[in-house]
Amino acid sequence: MARSGPTSPDRGAARRPPGWLGPGVLAAAVVAWEGAARAGWLVPFYFPAPSRLADTLRELLVVGFPQGVGMGTHIGVTLGRIAQGYALAIALAIPAGLLIGWVPALDRLALPVVTFCRSVATLSLLPLAIAWFGVGELSKVLLIAYACFWVVLANVVAGVKYVDPLLVRAARSLDTGPAGIFLRVALPAALPRAFAGMRVALGVGFMTIVGVEMVGTIQGLGALILEARTFFRSDVTLVGMAVIGLCGLALSTLLERLERLLLPWHRGLESVRR
Amino acid sequence: MARIEVQGVAKQYAEGEGGLALDGIDLAIQDNEFVTLVGRSGCGKTTLLNVIAGLVAPSAGEVRVDGRPVTGPGGGKGMVFQQHALFPWLTALGNIEFGCKSRGVPAGERRAIAAQLIELVGLRGSEAKYPIELSGGMQQRVAIARALALDPEILLMDEPFGALDELTRIEMQDELLRVWSSRKKTVVFVTHSIWEALVLSDRVVVLGGRPGRIRLDLPIDVARPRERTDPRLTGLYGEIWAYLS
Repeated sequence: MARSGPTSPDRGAARRPPGWLGPGVLAAAVVAWEGAARAGWLVPFYFPAPSRLADTLRELLVVGFPQGVGMGTHIGVTLGRIAQGYALAIALAIPAGLLIGWVPALDRLALPVVTFCRSVATLSLLPLAIAWFGVGELSKVLLIAYACFWVVLANVVAGVKYVDPLLVRAARSLDTGPAGIFLRVALPAALPRAFAGMRVALGVGFMTIVGVEMVGTIQGLGALILEARTFFRSDVTLVGMAVIGLCGLALSTLLERLERLLLPWHRGLESVRR
Repeated sequence: MARIEVQGVAKQYAEGEGGLALDGIDLAIQDNEFVTLVGRSGCGKTTLLNVIAGLVAPSAGEVRVDGRPVTGPGGGKGMVFQQHALFPWLTALGNIEFGCKSRGVPAGERRAIAAQLIELVGLRGSEAKYPIELSGGMQQRVAIARALALDPEILLMDEPFGALDELTRIEMQDELLRVWSSRKKTVVFVTHSIWEALVLSDRVVVLGGRPGRIRLDLPIDVARPRERTDPRLTGLYGEIWAYLS
């Protein structure tokens, strides 16, 4: 608007770092690392040089580690496990969260349970999961689901519970009954938080996978890292970590895009900074 | 019979004398009358509006609309709030159609009602925008259209222009009067601006004290359109001011 003209050139824009800064810093770090390694300042076992890691990646892609189990398999198996556990968690947590958030009595009942279960580190359940569900895929998927479930649940509950009461009053004044308020006010109002929970849960899934894959499998990025330890291959560990990180980054970005597509009305600070 | 009858209404929010927000409110509002409730912050004017709306139950007394006791919101009582209270996930059009959907008005009819209101409140071209994309004045236009979509006999407005800048506010006051004259409604309007009350209303009701009681019930017998500089309004301003301070 013209009225805000003189002050409108966004001072935030000037402070925002240029786009090349992130990749630039990263590239500089890699170059410095390589230089330090070649100069002999770094012990190769602890800090393998980037060029060495590139060779390792090639080895993992072509030969596989252990031999015959290629990088594609590791990635595919890991993503498959995460996808199943994550999907299961979301499928259960969203309806449960909507219900708990909507019914105050359920919320009071559920709050200590949710807090308790969230506090139990998922990996501490690994022995129990193996005893109950065996060392196969089921244990792994269920543990990932467990880890993701509580995060999504807590966020959906909060999303419903903290719906702006003004919006509820507005809906009531527009002849909207309880069912309408639940479906047409509470549900959409909870979506941004549900998405936030889903983004965090995805990260939790990736954090959990390494531990979960330490038992009963040689396939998957977690198994790869564990196997590398057995053979003193720190380079393989590092490449495995990097690949996990990149997968997490890619999926998180995808989820963010999806959120923007599905919730065009929810832009928060972004629209102010533009 | 008056359109709205408020009889002996009191509202106690908490135990003890300090918890009494309203006491002994009697008020009769005629059909098509534009009544403004004025008072300092905390005088209970919004509480009274919410009691009339059926959003807050009175601790004593009763509110009747067309002779029937008010038991809940809606049902011919439209509301406009101070913060626009628009549903952020719906476009302007979606917001305007919200109440019709609740009532199960068929899609074709709904569209027609919304299209008319969009013309009436001057929103053409902004139908597909989300509330976050609209200016404060435009947001309140959507909120007014949304409240009018169910064609309520009564329009309850809680400081609807309080968050707008002065110029937009004056513009919106004129708009509201235009809308009001084209679709006769009984309006109860809460504001803390004496000028706003004088420009808009048939009657100004001044609330004051703790608990809030009616201090003054003043008819504004000045023909519309009113000049904001009219000396008669200035005189009435002084009269209201005396009861407020």
